[in-house]
Amino acid sequence: MPENPTFAPKIQVFEPHRASLPPLIPYLKEFWSRRAFAIELSRFADKAEYLDSKFGKVWLVLNPLLLAMIYFLLVTVIRGGAAKTQGLTTLAHILIGLFTFYFAQTCISAGAGSITAGGRLILNQAFPRTLLPFSSTISAFFQFLPTIPVYIAVIVIGKFFYPKTQIPGFTWNYLWIPLIIACVGITGFGLSLIFATMNVYFRDTNKLLAYATRIWLYASPVLWLPEMLHGWHRWVLYINPLGPVLATTSNVWIKGHGPTSAELIGMILWALISILAGGYFFISRERDFAVRI
Amino acid sequence: MPEELAIRIEDLSIRYKINVDHKRTLKNMVMRASLGESVRTRTVEAVKHLSLDVKHGSVLGIVGANGAGKSTLMRSIAGILPPTEGRIIVNGKVSTLLALGVGFNPALSGRDNIILGGLASGMTRDEIEDKTDEIAAFADLPDGFIDMPVRTYSSGMYGRVAFSVAVSMKPDILLLDEALSAGDASFKEKSFNKMRELCAEARTIIIVSHALATITDLCDTALWLHKGNMLSNGKPDAIVEEYLKFLNVGTLPSNYEDM
Repeated sequence: MPENPTFAPKIQVFEPHRASLPPLIPYLKEFWSRRAFAIELSRFADKAEYLDSKFGKVWLVLNPLLLAMIYFLLVTVIRGGAAKTQGLTTLAHILIGLFTFYFAQTCISAGAGSITAGGRLILNQAFPRTLLPFSSTISAFFQFLPTIPVYIAVIVIGKFFYPKTQIPGFTWNYLWIPLIIACVGITGFGLSLIFATMNVYFRDTNKLLAYATRIWLYASPVLWLPEMLHGWHRWVLYINPLGPVLATTSNVWIKGHGPTSAELIGMILWALISILAGGYFFISRERDFAVRI
Repeated sequence: MPEELAIRIEDLSIRYKINVDHKRTLKNMVMRASLGESVRTRTVEAVKHLSLDVKHGSVLGIVGANGAGKSTLMRSIAGILPPTEGRIIVNGKVSTLLALGVGFNPALSGRDNIILGGLASGMTRDEIEDKTDEIAAFADLPDGFIDMPVRTYSSGMYGRVAFSVAVSMKPDILLLDEALSAGDASFKEKSFNKMRELCAEARTIIIVSHALATITDLCDTALWLHKGNMLSNGKPDAIVEEYLKFLNVGTLPSNYEDM
């Protein structure tokens, strides 16, 4: 028999597993070995999307910024105007809250459509399907990053005009920020796995998600401050997967405090619950996707 | 599994449920639940109790009418569809060309699409970048087209690129589903030569084709699937002849009654 010059034995066994998990260690190894694919896919997807747009990526920042301005106006009008220093705090709270919320929302909405949009790829190649929503999370992260300098610029300008504001300069509590971002990303990725799976079975999930995320925004401490809730009402904060992490966001960025222990536990727990529940829901069903696309 | 085998399929059955209703939406589900109706589904038995061994270096052709389970079988070998019963053991790197096109994103260039396809199949970026020019040359892409958006490609170009990508991955096992219908006569000749070259290196190829001449020209064994059953399995000429008789006269081989 002739020799195959590049042959390296690689035994793969495919056996039935329905609504239960495949062997997880090989799965995670495959996922890790193809992470470059998820990264490139997110880069290319962004490139394709903004290829024709004149402002391109500027829109990504402009959109939440303008939205924040609108909400700011709404909130101050409803309150019947606010003291000047209070105004800057409100604006800062809405800005950073909205940017952070948008990060999670982009993870979820882009991730939810990633499987149904990846039709041909899914029919043609075997690879861990979690890579597709993961790629959306990477995109969402890179859309979120440039909003941070925008926030900082607004605060620096604001502090110049209203030096008495409570918003801090540099504090060591800013070291909480990477943890906040990680928790938002993990929670967003976990939830996107749930909605991506649902979208395969029910194609209108993504449409309903647009309304659901709007209601979710109003139920999150973005347009209102977490300390406005008292007594048992504070549960509203903790039954919301993004509640504790958004409260922490406001605490760290606006007040310069660290998270309370309840917030810290809450945000880490929600990240864990989301990734474990989403991962189980998605991975146990992903081999079914090819017949349902 | 014996070393000389590339693929072993043991008593494989694949069933899946499909919804009869067109629109699978939450709205419809809620409407139906409120009316007390249940979801209408149908179970498709795509492959039934199939066992098969494929040796390294062989070319297997699969023939069968529409709905015979050919594509399902190919997808299960690729690890895309899970078996409902039985087991598939695959030894070697698999490259697939099952759904036509490398296609991810028509707005991206051919080069970008090739890179994404390669990364998805587990290659490194360097490995693929080394190959993109070779792929473009093999696909007979006119000058500069490799860097143009894929939406500007003709369907022939599209199919040729997809084929070039699949063969250039140096797979141990190559799965081709109706992939050869894309090119013109000269490209077909070129792709046949490429496949013979792959076989000479002890690489394994499985081809699904309605072009029966492809099966008799290229394959050393053939398999006839009919409604999920393997009707016969043997020399391509004999299988194709039986299959043609069935197509023309509608008679199944006598042993089918026993199944």
